[in-house]
Amino acid sequence: MFYPVQYRGWTVCSPADPSRQKSRQIMSKDSQMRAAINQKLIEMGERERLKELLRAKLVECGWKDQLKAHCKDVIKEKGLEHVTVEDLVTEVTPKGRALVPDSVKKELLQRIRAFLAQHATL
Amino acid sequence: MTWSDSHYSAIKISHTDFQMKMEDMPLSGPDNTKLEALVHDIYSELVEDACLGLCFEVHRAVKQGYFFLDDTDQESLKEFEIVDQPGVDIFGQVYNQWKNKECECPNCKRLIAASRFAPHLEKCLGMGRNSSRIANRRLASNNNMSKSESDQEDNDDLNDNDWSYGAEKKAKKRKSEKNQNSPRRSKSLKHKNGDLGGSIPSETYKYNYNTGISYETLGPDEVRSLLTTQCGVISEHTKKMCTRPSLPDADAVVESDSFDIPDRQSVMSRLQWEDSPDISPADSASSKASTNHSDSRMPKKKKKTPLSLNSVGGSGGGGGVGGGGGGGGGSLTGGSSSSSQSNISLSTKKKRPKLQAPSISSIYDDLN
Repeated sequence: MFYPVQYRGWTVCSPADPSRQKSRQIMSKDSQMRAAINQKLIEMGERERLKELLRAKLVECGWKDQLKAHCKDVIKEKGLEHVTVEDLVTEVTPKGRALVPDSVKKELLQRIRAFLAQHATL
Repeated sequence: MTWSDSHYSAIKISHTDFQMKMEDMPLSGPDNTKLEALVHDIYSELVEDACLGLCFEVHRAVKQGYFFLDDTDQESLKEFEIVDQPGVDIFGQVYNQWKNKECECPNCKRLIAASRFAPHLEKCLGMGRNSSRIANRRLASNNNMSKSESDQEDNDDLNDNDWSYGAEKKAKKRKSEKNQNSPRRSKSLKHKNGDLGGSIPSETYKYNYNTGISYETLGPDEVRSLLTTQCGVISEHTKKMCTRPSLPDADAVVESDSFDIPDRQSVMSRLQWEDSPDISPADSASSKASTNHSDSRMPKKKKKTPLSLNSVGGSGGGGGVGGGGGGGGGSLTGGSSSSSQSNISLSTKKKRPKLQAPSISSIYDDLN
């Protein structure tokens, strides 16, 4: 007989966070489910496919160029020699998230949902 | 701690078990929102990945120094802007600007359209690849025409229907079919023994090509030499002249190349050119013809012999060309053009049936 894992879960960071120590923490059903789904996503190659699809769409719609231009500004601001990855990341990521066009977002969400519907019992 | 360890194992086991159980769980409200949240989370992860990727790319470009390479100054940007006007391509050039222009030819002083200017110059100056060919052909045909006219007056017999049907049709055909610039021509000119003298080179090829031969246009000597060496019958269907060598011995249908010499001797002994013209067809005719064959004939099987249009049809004997049936007498070489030697050797081997050349030689004999 197995104990259902229904302990009050600890607040865990997002499933992709590598620092999460799955084996040590008591996870909520929720996070377990997430973990399972993520695992399946990766195993079936769907994650890669989604990633490529997103990249292609973003290039197509000009998001990449927009963001690159923003990068230029940041670099000019910080100085060419001293710019670090962290600088760029902190400056660029929020803007990047915001700049994704709705159509792209919708399509991706649709695909993820479809995958979940197919491969996870909901 | 044992407790945590056991927990650990419990969790592990239940994890897999949980998955199986998950599939059985039905959809429920709270799960839906959770699911939706999950979907969004997955999406955000993907977007973050993309952003990170871009950051790494840019950072590397900055550190490697190629990030700002594609920046151009405003001036050059304006210069190469895409043009979007009607009648003009994207570079701003008019593409059919020269379509309606005309140029004056420096040679003939005519106004030629621009697109036809280059070919016209080629012809006009006589310097292109084709212009020499065309000029030669024209030259040849003009000479042929003039020669044929003179011949017709002299040789009434040539107008005989037996020989001349299809000749008119052939006259035109001949022109177009001759390849004036073929390498063969120069070779035959070298070999020829000179009877042609300064005659137009195209004449040497009159009997090279089986098509387009017109007896009316050949001189009597040539016709005789031609007909004593070959059959010469013009087919009704194809209008081609039979090039089977006239064999001295009708019965000796020999295929081998060694037909050459023995026949020659036998023929020479038998034949006399000066006999009366009223000879029976086939053997005697051809054998008569071959008597006069000069000894200058060289036994050739497949090689080219020197052209000697003077000699009446080469020597007796098979001319080294396999058999064909008896048919005419005479043999190859000599009279006919050298290059036709190989032609004839091929053609006679093919043409098995006997084609008689009834008293051809006798007729032309009379003319002399």
